[in-house]
Amino acid sequence: MIEWEIGAIVAAKIVAWIVIGTGLLQTSFYLIQLLFAGASLSQRPPVANANLLWRRYAGHAPPIALLAPAYNEEVTIVESVNSLLALHYPEFEVIVINDGSKDGTLERLIEHFGVERVERFYDRTVDHQEIRGLYATPRLPRLLVVDKVNGGKSDALNAGINVARSPLFCSIDADSLLESDALLRAVRPFIEKPDEMVAVGGTIRLANGSSIEGGRVQKVALPRNFLALVQIVEYLRAFLMARLALSRMQALTVISGAFGLFRRRLVLEVGGYSHGTVGEDMELVIKLHRHMRDKKRPYRIDFIPEPVCWTEAPEDLTILGRQRARWQRGALETLAKHRDMLFNPKYGRIGFLGFGQILVVDVLGPLIEVIGYVLVPVLWAVGLLSVDYLFAFLAITFTFGIFVSVATLILEEVELRRFPRARDLVVLTSVAVLENFGYRQLSNFWRLRGFWQFLRKQEGWGTMTRKGFTKA
Amino acid sequence: MTLLSLWAVSVVLSGVALLIMIGLILGRFVSQRRQDDLSQQRKTLLPLLLGDAGDEVIHDASVKRSPILRDLSIELIQLVRGEERQQLIATATRLGVAESIRKVLAKGTTRARVVAAETLADFPDEFTTDALHRALEDRNDGVRLAAALALASSDRAPPAQTLVQLLDLGMREQSMLIVALFQEIARSSPAEIRSLIDDQISPPKVKAAAIEALSASGDYSLVPSIVQLALKADPYGEELPRYLRSLGAFQHPAGSPAIVQWLSAPTWWVRTAAAEAAGRIGLQETQSTLVDLLDDPDWWVRFRAGEALVRLGAEAQQLLAKVAATGSQRASSAARLTLAEQAVQA
Repeated sequence: MIEWEIGAIVAAKIVAWIVIGTGLLQTSFYLIQLLFAGASLSQRPPVANANLLWRRYAGHAPPIALLAPAYNEEVTIVESVNSLLALHYPEFEVIVINDGSKDGTLERLIEHFGVERVERFYDRTVDHQEIRGLYATPRLPRLLVVDKVNGGKSDALNAGINVARSPLFCSIDADSLLESDALLRAVRPFIEKPDEMVAVGGTIRLANGSSIEGGRVQKVALPRNFLALVQIVEYLRAFLMARLALSRMQALTVISGAFGLFRRRLVLEVGGYSHGTVGEDMELVIKLHRHMRDKKRPYRIDFIPEPVCWTEAPEDLTILGRQRARWQRGALETLAKHRDMLFNPKYGRIGFLGFGQILVVDVLGPLIEVIGYVLVPVLWAVGLLSVDYLFAFLAITFTFGIFVSVATLILEEVELRRFPRARDLVVLTSVAVLENFGYRQLSNFWRLRGFWQFLRKQEGWGTMTRKGFTKA
Repeated sequence: MTLLSLWAVSVVLSGVALLIMIGLILGRFVSQRRQDDLSQQRKTLLPLLLGDAGDEVIHDASVKRSPILRDLSIELIQLVRGEERQQLIATATRLGVAESIRKVLAKGTTRARVVAAETLADFPDEFTTDALHRALEDRNDGVRLAAALALASSDRAPPAQTLVQLLDLGMREQSMLIVALFQEIARSSPAEIRSLIDDQISPPKVKAAAIEALSASGDYSLVPSIVQLALKADPYGEELPRYLRSLGAFQHPAGSPAIVQWLSAPTWWVRTAAAEAAGRIGLQETQSTLVDLLDDPDWWVRFRAGEALVRLGAEAQQLLAKVAATGSQRASSAARLTLAEQAVQA
């Protein structure tokens, strides 16, 4: 055997073992997460009905400012604000931040709610673009509209944090719908551990296919669109497995920008949301971890599955691809910015478990999988690949993916049961099988695009078209 | 790893996934059928419970060991008030509902025990009281607190000092519901909660919770005790702002020494609480300090100082107007916007 052939075989073996090693590591992460998520769901506090929650917490629930950044949301803004104003919570204010929309978002708010320009003394601790005006009306004392120069989502949230006066703020997307008692459920950890609780995240679910009336999800149903169905399975895995498990391990690294409750004072201490990143939600959580660990203060960042926020998932390949590339870029930007925390004993489980999860699942996972897809035909062509082993490994990869999705459905079915029909479970299982053939590869391609954008230091969010929720 | 073992793992994983799926679907059908049965029983039981049906009729209508009678009774008891509620509680007790919940409290899962403890607040019989007292020593913090709240809400709680020890209040148990617990106890025994404030060994968090629980009582004799605690408190701790806010809630001028002292605290959260309390009480002697605080580096302090000056009346509002016109940029902005926001024509 000539020298280069020996070298090629050794190189191929090394690559193969890296691929297998990363896969095994990822698999172990998922299995551990499943166990932790199961334990967490079975031991979580009782899910009380709204009346009992009110009776128990109303007298002691701290005020909350709901921050809803809005950019070109004129189609959905009135319904969204109405839904926020109708939430069941003793003391809250809704702060809608019009982030320099180019459409009629501000005009719709002024016209529909009758808000007028007012003066209000507000904080300027964190940076943001200039506020052009504040709008309110005595008729709706809970509503405040902030009109500012466009600066992006994190900039709008910073403006909202400065204007807010409550000890807690809740960041939400203006196009999302909160369940009426979501705040009462989400505030529980802040009441039970007032000195330690820094932030709480809640479950985001997809409203595609469900019927909406009066800003509320009236009937949960599955969508017909395949892309939306796959995303439902993905969201279940992300929220009911990954975040719940990481929360249990106290290693949660992300609270979704669509619904998160934060202690305002601590967010100000870390400088608010960072500019120049599309992963501002993940970055804020990492900054909070870093801050609390640097100060050696006891703290908790929790995820609880009950407070549900409904949002609209893209049903179009182009928009979904853009969103996934952006998420990937956000994770990479955060990892790069806080790389000194990775495997740093000073940051304990965040450095090892939290950052380890980002590294293996978000950074190496898609990269290795795509390298695998590229190398397979090459290695096969030069006769270095055993087709029998290839199929065996592919089968394991796919069946494990299906197993994880189905196991997540157990958690959903046993503990939450939001899908009304048994048929829905069959559909979701079929989707968990089908996603392995085409969607999974496409998703990795999008994530690689995010990698590329990150390497080119591309900025900006791209366009996200809002069509409004489906009516009942 | 052999080829065969790789395929074997795949087959096992697929098989397990398939079995889980079949299990979930079968489970769904079974639970749906059970749900339908329970709904049917609810429809039968509801008019009987709300009407004048005898115990035997109701008992016969509820299938043996079915939780429907228990759940429906609890639901109705929580919905209605007055005499009707008492009748429902009496009927439910006679039909064994309280006994069934007590069993859950003793042997249920953690979540079930918490719910059971909360529910038993509505059943005042002696067996329930004993069960709740036993639950005060439950292995789970949530169950213990729920039992204490249930006992306190029906005036059956043991002495407050005992509760502090049993539940490790203020140390291991730090929930804000401690204030709710003390408020419930203070309805019938304010002296017990008062004694926690004066007790040297009570943890600071217990003292703060006791003060908050009593601050709505209007018992001004508490003010000197709170002032003493506040004067000696750690300005970097979390309790001092709670003491100051309570002094503000009493609105009694005897709170002045502590408030005046802490208007110049090293921590912004204490200065904020002191400024707010000064405004609430109407301490005119703090005017000039409050004016200085309009230039504080922290926004909350400036905000509360401005708000307090508005509360202090015309003279303080004139000072605000003067700062708006001639103060530093930061103080001027705070004063101008406070006046505009509060619609004060100074």
